[in-house]
Amino acid sequence: MSVLRVSNITKKFKDFVAVDDISFELKEGEILGLLGPNGAGKTTTIQMLLGVLSSTSGDISYFGKKLVTNREEILEKVNFSSTYTNLPWSLTVRENLNYISYLYKIADRKKRIETLTTSFRLEKLVDLEMSALSAGQLTRVNLAKAFINFPRVLLLDEPTASLDPEVARFVRGFILSQREKYKVSIIFTSHNMSEVEEVCDRILFIKDGKIIVDDTPKNLSKSIKESKVHLIITSGDDALLFDYCVDNGMKIYSEKKQYTIDLAQSMIPSLLTFLGHNNINYSEISIDKPDLEDYFLKVASNRKSMEL
Amino acid sequence: MVDAFYWITIDLLLWGITSIYILKLAPNSSQLMFMFISGVLLWNVAYRGQVDISMGLLEELWNKNLINLFVSPLTFKDWISSLIFISIIKSLISLTFGSILGYFLYRVGILDLFPHLIVFIALLMMTGWWLGLFISGIILRFGTRVQALSWTLVWIVSPFSAIYYPLDILPMWAQMLSKIFPTSYIFEESRNLLYNGQVNYSNLGISAVLNVIYLIASFYFINSSFKKVLAKGLVKIY
Repeated sequence: MSVLRVSNITKKFKDFVAVDDISFELKEGEILGLLGPNGAGKTTTIQMLLGVLSSTSGDISYFGKKLVTNREEILEKVNFSSTYTNLPWSLTVRENLNYISYLYKIADRKKRIETLTTSFRLEKLVDLEMSALSAGQLTRVNLAKAFINFPRVLLLDEPTASLDPEVARFVRGFILSQREKYKVSIIFTSHNMSEVEEVCDRILFIKDGKIIVDDTPKNLSKSIKESKVHLIITSGDDALLFDYCVDNGMKIYSEKKQYTIDLAQSMIPSLLTFLGHNNINYSEISIDKPDLEDYFLKVASNRKSMEL
Repeated sequence: MVDAFYWITIDLLLWGITSIYILKLAPNSSQLMFMFISGVLLWNVAYRGQVDISMGLLEELWNKNLINLFVSPLTFKDWISSLIFISIIKSLISLTFGSILGYFLYRVGILDLFPHLIVFIALLMMTGWWLGLFISGIILRFGTRVQALSWTLVWIVSPFSAIYYPLDILPMWAQMLSKIFPTSYIFEESRNLLYNGQVNYSNLGISAVLNVIYLIASFYFINSSFKKVLAKGLVKIY
């Protein structure tokens, strides 16, 4: 079942097209990654989804109802966290969560705030003013705020930015547990590709305001066919290896006895066979398989040259 | 909240001491002290109304919190209503404090203007609201680079409001200009009540009509400013 349907939304700022006729759906309980280089249109899209930026054309519907005509009803079930917004500095964490809970008409505010401050390890910070918190602590408060209304749809714009690895892992775990428990649907942006691979079910890759790819993280990684093989050669004629690589369209780099070869995954067995037949011995070998980061870098730099 | 007590205390001290000095020079000006102190207290109502609305917006912008408000079910009308409600509460607290302090320091009781005092306060609050909404509309359009308007624009109105002097001492062009400000009618009538014991209700009626017109216009203006902001993106106004 689809909880969010985006139909042909476009946003123009005078002559500049920030978002260009994009359409997608978000299913119940799905975590959708929104990826793309800086300036691709991710934040503009999220702002339109929240109703704080009007679209030039197109429709946004949540739970089968149009956002523009059912704003209050929809936003009671939606929330948001981002690194580019703050809560009032002069209020304490508790005061901030309290006033936010009034905005969302939370019935048992005290209990909800206690639950969230415990979940996000904010117990010792609740009576501190926001101005006294570190960047990581502020991010945790913003996340607690985002979960305050038991959202059915959550938009998280770089939610783990500024968090140390241990807390970031904890937050990812929390997000996944909320999805399991409450079937929360999440739109997630991040520049941490391993995090996106871990958390997201599906990825929309946006470039120049257009969705250029809509697929699972696994399939996107698979679509990059190049791997890297790292070798430390102990004996044998390395000139033969250079010739073999050049003849077969592979790139080879060397530093002392360490060699790195860029090649298609399918060529790895024949490379290893070649090394064996020519008595080129190695003490160490490692193979880097392509991941989402490789995909991101490739698409962000030049889509046309990518072998999909 | 401190500012609700601070500025009125400063104004009461300045104008109270000034009137004591003038009374020494002109001992027959018995109503002078009352005129200055009531002027301070009544002007504070309009000033607070304006400042509390526009500062409410500025605080959200300084905190980068506006987006948190408008991704919630809060509507624009709810938000404006809350700013007006806070301005009413702070105005009344400040007025009560100032009235007690004025009586304590100078034995001047603003309640002498009762029951007309209620009408004066209501009209001055309305003036504060439309000024506050108008300034907030400008800030929404141009961001915090025009934030100084929040604490300066209201003072442009003050010379034409004849707070501490009768309107007819102003030059003719200024008298003409003062006719467009609802405040000038209120302060004229407060002095009329003080010196003559009567009020010209048609002047208060003109003040009320002007306030209603400006209030409607300022609602329209801030609403259209908010729509413009939504076209640019709330996150882009700082």
